[in-house]
Amino acid sequence: MTPQKAFDEYHQAVYSFAYRLTGQPEVAEDITQECFLALVRDPKRYDPARGTIKVYLFSIVRNLALKQYRDHRDVQPVEDSEDALVIDPRGTLDVSAAVATAVTSLPPLQQEALILFEYQGVTLEEIAQIVGADIGTVKSRLHRARQRLRRILVAYRKVGNPHGAL
Amino acid sequence: MEHFEKHERFENDEELSDRELDSILPEWKSPIAPQHLRAALFPEAPASSWRRLWSISIRVPFPVACCLAIVLALVVWRWGTPPPPRVVIQHDRVEVPVVKQEVVTRTVYRDRIVHAPPAASKSSASELQPVVELRPRIIRRQNDQN
Repeated sequence: MTPQKAFDEYHQAVYSFAYRLTGQPEVAEDITQECFLALVRDPKRYDPARGTIKVYLFSIVRNLALKQYRDHRDVQPVEDSEDALVIDPRGTLDVSAAVATAVTSLPPLQQEALILFEYQGVTLEEIAQIVGADIGTVKSRLHRARQRLRRILVAYRKVGNPHGAL
Repeated sequence: MEHFEKHERFENDEELSDRELDSILPEWKSPIAPQHLRAALFPEAPASSWRRLWSISIRVPFPVACCLAIVLALVVWRWGTPPPPRVVIQHDRVEVPVVKQEVVTRTVYRDRIVHAPPAASKSSASELQPVVELRPRIIRRQNDQN
């Protein structure tokens, strides 16, 4: 697959993944550009035997987002921590913004697993390939991420309100 | 989601159920990727020389443009009118039969005026000498018989 074809097919998915990881459109744009630039510069680095092109691109995005995260948010731990619940999304009336705030408040490893599984439609095996962990670890991260979101977003339970506002 | 359905909980005030979470998560939409990303990554090939040639423009002052337009109109008008008929002189060789006539040669005699030699008076007296030998010649008529 040529870089142009890969871009046409996956640029929206890559951008969405980068946007949900970083929460910033500008950063997501930069990451998307760098991701495909890596493919354009050295297409031979992609080895089809090691996974699909989608897995390869998401791996690049993940690494770039983690780098960006480490550069700008060195306060919050990257690894899982039950005490890392620092953002309270109840200040907003918009469910979309509340979900975004809640997801981006997750520890990065839980966050990426949840985003890949829930939003990008990636299988557990592919997530394991992308994050470089076994499937059991991925499942564990997903479970903890969902558990945390259930608690954070409890205020947005839909009670006869289609928008879920308070 | 079997993994999570196994652990689905009853609704309580402390947290959402898995089903509630599944319904609330899609509320977060991602924006559409900007259109200029493609152009930034895959710039269009530079225009060919022909295309660049077609895109060249020059600034011409208005009076010059008017003069050019008038000249152009005159040229077009001149070419539009039919030219006067031309007279062409053509030379062709034509074979004409010639009747040969008999050539008759005739001798024509005419009288010639012979001028007399200059007068003897101009000769000197020394040329008048007596003959050395006298040879008489008898001249007879043709029809005279001996």
